[in-house]
Amino acid sequence: MTTYQFLTTAWEWNPTLLLICSLAIVGYFLAFGLRGQPAYFVGALAILLLALVSPLSALADGYLFSAHMVQHILLVLIVPALSLLSLPRSLSLPRSRATFTHPLIGWVAGVGAMWLWHAPALCNAATTLKAVSVIQTISLLLMGSVFWWQVLAPRDADRLSPLAGIVYLFTACTACSILGIILTFAPVSVCPAYQQPVDRLGILDVIRGRWGLTSERDQQIGGLLMWVPMCLIYLAAILAQLARWQSDPSAHPEKSHA
Amino acid sequence: MNGTTTTAMFRAAILDPAKRAHYRLAWLSTVDHKRIAVLYLLTALFFFVVAGVEALFMRLQLALPNNHFLHPDTFNQLFTMHGTTMIFLVVMPVVFGFVNYVLPLQIGARDMAFPRLNAFGFWCVPFGGILLHFSVLAGGAPAVGWFAYAPLSETPYSSNLGVDYWAIAIFVLGIGSISLAVNIIATVISCRAPGMTMRRLPLFTWINFVNAFIIIFVLPVLNAGLAMLLIDRLLEGHFFLPARGGSAVLWQHIFWAFGHPEVYILVLPAFGMVSEMIPVFSRKPIFGYQFVAASSVAIAVLSLGVWGHHMFTVGMGRPLDLFFAISSLLIAIPTGVKVLNWSATMIGGRLRLQVPMLFCIAFLIQFLCAGITGISHAVVPLDWQTKNSYYLVAHFHFVAVGAIVFAVLGALQYWFPKMSGRFLSERLGRWTFWLMVIGFNMTFIIQHFLGLLGMPRRVFTYPDLPHFTWMNMLSTIGVFFMAAAALILVWNLVVSFFKGKLATDNPWNAWTLEWATTSPPPHENFHALPPIRSRRPLWDIANPDRPDPIVGENSSAITVPDKNKVGMLTFILSEAGFFMTLVLAYLFFYVHPQPGPTPKELDVPRTLIFSVCLFASSFTFWRSEIAMSKRQRVSMLGWLAFTVVLGGIFLVGQGTEYWKLFKTGVDVSTNLFATTFFTLTGFHGLHVLLGLVALLIFLWLAWRGDFASGRESAFESAGYYWHFVDVVWVFVLLTVYILPLLR
Repeated sequence: MTTYQFLTTAWEWNPTLLLICSLAIVGYFLAFGLRGQPAYFVGALAILLLALVSPLSALADGYLFSAHMVQHILLVLIVPALSLLSLPRSLSLPRSRATFTHPLIGWVAGVGAMWLWHAPALCNAATTLKAVSVIQTISLLLMGSVFWWQVLAPRDADRLSPLAGIVYLFTACTACSILGIILTFAPVSVCPAYQQPVDRLGILDVIRGRWGLTSERDQQIGGLLMWVPMCLIYLAAILAQLARWQSDPSAHPEKSHA
Repeated sequence: MNGTTTTAMFRAAILDPAKRAHYRLAWLSTVDHKRIAVLYLLTALFFFVVAGVEALFMRLQLALPNNHFLHPDTFNQLFTMHGTTMIFLVVMPVVFGFVNYVLPLQIGARDMAFPRLNAFGFWCVPFGGILLHFSVLAGGAPAVGWFAYAPLSETPYSSNLGVDYWAIAIFVLGIGSISLAVNIIATVISCRAPGMTMRRLPLFTWINFVNAFIIIFVLPVLNAGLAMLLIDRLLEGHFFLPARGGSAVLWQHIFWAFGHPEVYILVLPAFGMVSEMIPVFSRKPIFGYQFVAASSVAIAVLSLGVWGHHMFTVGMGRPLDLFFAISSLLIAIPTGVKVLNWSATMIGGRLRLQVPMLFCIAFLIQFLCAGITGISHAVVPLDWQTKNSYYLVAHFHFVAVGAIVFAVLGALQYWFPKMSGRFLSERLGRWTFWLMVIGFNMTFIIQHFLGLLGMPRRVFTYPDLPHFTWMNMLSTIGVFFMAAAALILVWNLVVSFFKGKLATDNPWNAWTLEWATTSPPPHENFHALPPIRSRRPLWDIANPDRPDPIVGENSSAITVPDKNKVGMLTFILSEAGFFMTLVLAYLFFYVHPQPGPTPKELDVPRTLIFSVCLFASSFTFWRSEIAMSKRQRVSMLGWLAFTVVLGGIFLVGQGTEYWKLFKTGVDVSTNLFATTFFTLTGFHGLHVLLGLVALLIFLWLAWRGDFASGRESAFESAGYYWHFVDVVWVFVLLTVYILPLLR
């Protein structure tokens, strides 16, 4: 199989997932109509599909740790962020704000989503068992949403003040970078399932040969993805916080340090 | 405020020799931020001359091919001392001096948040400088470069005491830098004047505030590395010795994880200086304040993750090279944004080409060149070819001299009137400027070509190859121009201090608060502050009919958190960086077990029991705080004493574990596990011990009744530290004791 063949054929159009996505679109328009930012929501679903049905998903499913990492980043950072951005600005959580919207919970959810699912046992289970993989996907989306709620909640009052938001994002970035550094330099496999892939699609030769991705190099790229590009996402969010702080006259920057 | 009379009064008080007689000793014991700043600047000037002479000797040696003016060893010592001195004893102190002087004035504060800590931070500099130079008398200066690459810096290859003195000196200087950074952050957050909201901070203050965060994150990383190096050298540890299982590359990672952000620690304050001067001498507000402010944050964050580009030649593998190349290229964007902002500020302005502005313009041009050669180093194959050549030497001198020193010289001309009440001579300043620009470019432009022709750096001499001789000679001649510039500068400082033209309060018609007080300012800085509603309060006063738009809400109410807590939390952040490095180093070696003792020999259940005591002590401290807030003295003392006892039990537990290991012949030098184990748990134990000392002091103070009337914040701050020590133990326990059980 060539790279081209792989990229054109390895799409797994999972009917359940497509149904969920269609229902989500219908549900979104029924609930909010055009009051929100539907473009963001469509973008979120498109990236969700990219992560779960495209060749990326096929690679993440047992072949490449680095592809898994891209999937992981998309699910925990990009999809929840876009979903939150798509909501109408007036929306608030109906009840029990205090539980899920405490900054510490958000922070632990965001950082935990990275650390927890890269514990060797869990990472392996998610790669080899379909059920665990589904749980992983859902939990990543949820934890990502709880994390982003602190900076991207639809109502400004639900968000952290900008300077506190910067501290929140920077510390999360540091915590994830440390994991990235560990993954990059770990001489042992973090997720042994990726070391000897079951060659379901017959592309292992392409990956190891043509692409030159040995399992060591693969894990290194995975770690680096978490270390560098992921930090850039946080950095972009930090800059957005600064922009919000400098532009919004009603912001209370002083509150942040209290 | 009647500027002229108050100026005259203070000039009479400060410049009259009889009245300042008592100041002589006062300068040694001062905690006034302005005097400490002057001490920083004078120390930096002294070491600038020292390191400059070292550079002159090196260039003399290199003026001719096959020269034997200097012994090769001497040459190695000279370039090590030159680099170390210039970075840690010249640029950092000079930057800290300006920050110390200007930052509290710009935010309308009376002093730094912690004046005594400020004095401590300064005295670390001469102490560190003396330690470093004492090595010359103690068997020879270090000869391993300012980066001290292992294993050259290890005992088998550098057996005299030079490297030990070097490491301890840098360690001390690092502690001084961290203490100042903690002080800067606490000052900016907690000591601002009414109306000075965070959004109204002048750029110099904002940039140095951001910079202080880089300092507290990365200096501890270096200090952790230095501690490991010293453990290797003095206690026969194994961290960086490949022959004994250690990793020389780990030293490079640790050093450059500090070393690259260090470049930004040095250059960001320079950015702050030119961001103040260019608007004033262009008679325009800065173009795009938000972009300059935000790009500083972007630079700070990015700088933490690009150190790998110093290690392309190590052979880290293609993935690492690729990612570091990309992140290094990205850092050019926020830097380029700044250059555009400064240029745009000048466009359409009424430029006043006085000496500070001349230096700013030179800074812009030289820094642009430095940036372009910098980007070229992010291109991996090019970097492989040029890394160890004079091309790199030229690049970083363009940053260090062309950008930083030029900005500092401009800033000196700019703020000297505020510090002394007198202008520096404009005529002598122009001589310094032109000699500096000519000498600098003569010395360093040609070095780019020398490097591309293949002349390696760190060599004491070179063969008579085509072009090498005249290029090196030209480079050496340039140094004499710079030396002349430096001499004129010193002459200018001395003459102008006594006989310079008198300066008014606001001699440059600038707009930030330091110009709202007298020149020099009184001890308490301000008698009265102008209203602060924008980023240019003095402009608003001078132009009441067209003031700057109000930034943020139109109120002078600001809420500032307690400075003790801010200071302690900042300090804890830096400590977290220190322990993070130690934990990562532990993990790095943990995955490759060496022969000899392993984590399996540790008594986990026993340690768990002692750990419970430590964790319980956090709880008892919390109870003590509650009792204090309820003014229940006996209960508070009881819980506090209980905390001390629990902490003591933990230390005894740790001590007996050490004792058992020692008895079975396991010590720091046994193998890598032992080295990393004792280092990590030992440093934690040391922190517990210090926490206990602090708690005992608090116990004594509480016993005397010092907290009867409140002052919770000091007590709570100590509590933060104590809880932090416990949290560190959670991580140590997990990595050292629990992790092996999972395997």
